Amino acid sequence: MHSKYAGIHYIVPAFALLTLVLFSPVFYGVWFSLFRIQYGSPTDFAGLDNFRDLLSDPTLPATLHRSAIFTAAAVSITIALSLALAIWIHRLGERRGFLVQIIVIVPWIISTVVATLLFRWVFVNDIGLAGSIARMAGLDDIQMLNNPHSAMALLVAVSVWKRIGYAVIILLAGVKGIPDDYEEAALIDGATPFQIFRRITLPLLKTPLLLVAIVLTLSNLNTVETPLVLTGGGPGDATRILPMDVFDRAFITYDLGSATALALAMFFGNVLLVLAYVRLAKWKT
Amino acid sequence: MRPFVRASLAVAVLSLGISMSLPAFAQKATVRMWTFLNPSGTTPREVTLAKIISDFQAANPDIEIVTETHAFDQLTPKFLAAHGTGKAPDIIWAATDFLGDAIASGSLADLNELFINKWTPEQIADRKGPYWDLTLRNGKQYALFTSRNYISLLYRPDFFKQAGVDPDSIKTWDDFVKAAKALTVTDTSGQVVRYGFAQGYSEHQADPLLMIPMALANGDGIFKLDGRANFAHPAGVAAMKFQTDLIKEHKVSPPQAAAWTVDDVYEQFASGRAAMILGASVRVSTLQSKLGDDKVGMMLWPGSGEVEHAPAVMAGWAVGVWSGSKVKAQAGKFVEYMLGPIGDKMWVEKGGQSPGLLSTLASLGDFIKQPGKDYLRVAAEGSAKFGWLAPIDFSAGGYRQALNKAGQRILVNGEDVKASLERAESDFNRQHKR
Repeated sequence: MHSKYAGIHYIVPAFALLTLVLFSPVFYGVWFSLFRIQYGSPTDFAGLDNFRDLLSDPTLPATLHRSAIFTAAAVSITIALSLALAIWIHRLGERRGFLVQIIVIVPWIISTVVATLLFRWVFVNDIGLAGSIARMAGLDDIQMLNNPHSAMALLVAVSVWKRIGYAVIILLAGVKGIPDDYEEAALIDGATPFQIFRRITLPLLKTPLLLVAIVLTLSNLNTVETPLVLTGGGPGDATRILPMDVFDRAFITYDLGSATALALAMFFGNVLLVLAYVRLAKWKT
Repeated sequence: MRPFVRASLAVAVLSLGISMSLPAFAQKATVRMWTFLNPSGTTPREVTLAKIISDFQAANPDIEIVTETHAFDQLTPKFLAAHGTGKAPDIIWAATDFLGDAIASGSLADLNELFINKWTPEQIADRKGPYWDLTLRNGKQYALFTSRNYISLLYRPDFFKQAGVDPDSIKTWDDFVKAAKALTVTDTSGQVVRYGFAQGYSEHQADPLLMIPMALANGDGIFKLDGRANFAHPAGVAAMKFQTDLIKEHKVSPPQAAAWTVDDVYEQFASGRAAMILGASVRVSTLQSKLGDDKVGMMLWPGSGEVEHAPAVMAGWAVGVWSGSKVKAQAGKFVEYMLGPIGDKMWVEKGGQSPGLLSTLASLGDFIKQPGKDYLRVAAEGSAKFGWLAPIDFSAGGYRQALNKAGQRILVNGEDVKASLERAESDFNRQHKR
């Protein structure tokens, strides 16, 4: 075989495994979405009917809008906070930095359901921690889960709290990888700390930032446990985001046809988002 | 003898021994069962299930029961999906809302062929009732019910006594509001420390709201014959207004309940924050194990002038055998044992469930008369006279969630009651393509 094809031999086993584990459910999903589903089994060929039904669903645009708001808020806040934390931890001494790192990482290693339940118990009723603190401060009862805006804010907060540990680890590794010489040279040239951050640190963190942005976007866009446990999508539909919609279609109304169609649409949306991120990063090189 | 020959002989003897013992191993059938109860758990029903399984396995060493626990609201849809892919468990606990789907999908085997045909007419008569009829279609018995769930009012007798309210005095919905007001307690700062009544409005883990029995009592029903939702009729609107006014107008129910799940409600009840809750008979034993037998009572819903008691939503778990199972006979044998006279008695005595057999009810007369066990009588009486089962001729999945969401919109967004119910109808019909 020509030498330029020699590498194929090495990637075939891994590719075959990926095809089986990752891609086969997608192919199955595509096939499944083209049929009318009755009692969990495909019956008549429906073509694109499931997708057409989805497009005619009057509730979908609002769900899409909420998903975009939730994801954009959660990702941008997580990145901003984790970047600040990573730089702060880098400047702390080794021991103190390690301790802060551990504290920041803990929410990430806790099960999402458990972490979300902890938040729920704090806010769910007037005898929770939040209500007690509010009363001690002379404020009215906090009913964050009963207000559409505060429920969404709480959902974003839980997501940020849960995922910030991962972002800090990646960004801290990036920060540690920047040679100290660059900063020292910039200081000699009279650069301010903000200029150093803007002109040196940030550009050199492009790759870890891109990675964090992609992973956070995908994990927020596809999270079902957090809204399901924290708010159940409510009040009303205030926190109903796309993955919850898929869950409800599949497990509450048992409409597997539209659930599969929506899940597939989300999958291709995810792929497009990743491509857009990568493309965007290249343009700025 | 040469070492090689000796070794060969030993291998031959060993192989023969193994091959002779293989059939014995091969005969042991593994029966997979999906349920929402965890046999390793500590609640009365979980302990009962574990005991039933161990007793059955001791008596049937050739059958092993392997239990897989799933979240209760996902259990039946997951089973239906598994049936579609041909990999379902041998025994399934199907929720009432999805029972029609389970039967229509052909996923459940006819239990007549497995064991009921061998029963005497007396044995069949022992089981007759609405739950039996629900799983009987075209002469085939697709499942037997365990966990008959009568969802009405749970109350704290100690709080009633403190407030000087007699539970038997609650005959009408006006009496109910009066009692709830008397049971609501505020501290000196005006903070409510105990509410008269609580029910959860979350779509996640949704029990059927109070408005359903109230609307059903009027005779209008919540579904049309073709399966479309029928929530926004005058009785439905009045019932929804009544229940949301418990929070908005009468202040006897917590506004936070707009976000509460079923489990939140039980926690509030157990912690003494609510004197009455919308609750299920199957949860009483767990609550009593936490609070004491004398601290949890159950009553039928109030009625109106014409109806003595509004019909409570009855739910429960229908246990069936998967039609594609390769061990149908063994699975059927376990189902028959689990829900037979021995199992039924255990479910009542240890698990705190309502009896499924009339003979159990008769034989446990003294047990049911014990303090704290009166809820079994209430549930049995209610199931026989004042109950409503969701129809299974069409999928009813999501009706509780649709009504809960309507309630949330009224409470949180101030939406008009009728408009909110019409929207719930429209959402439900669209989701089911009706």
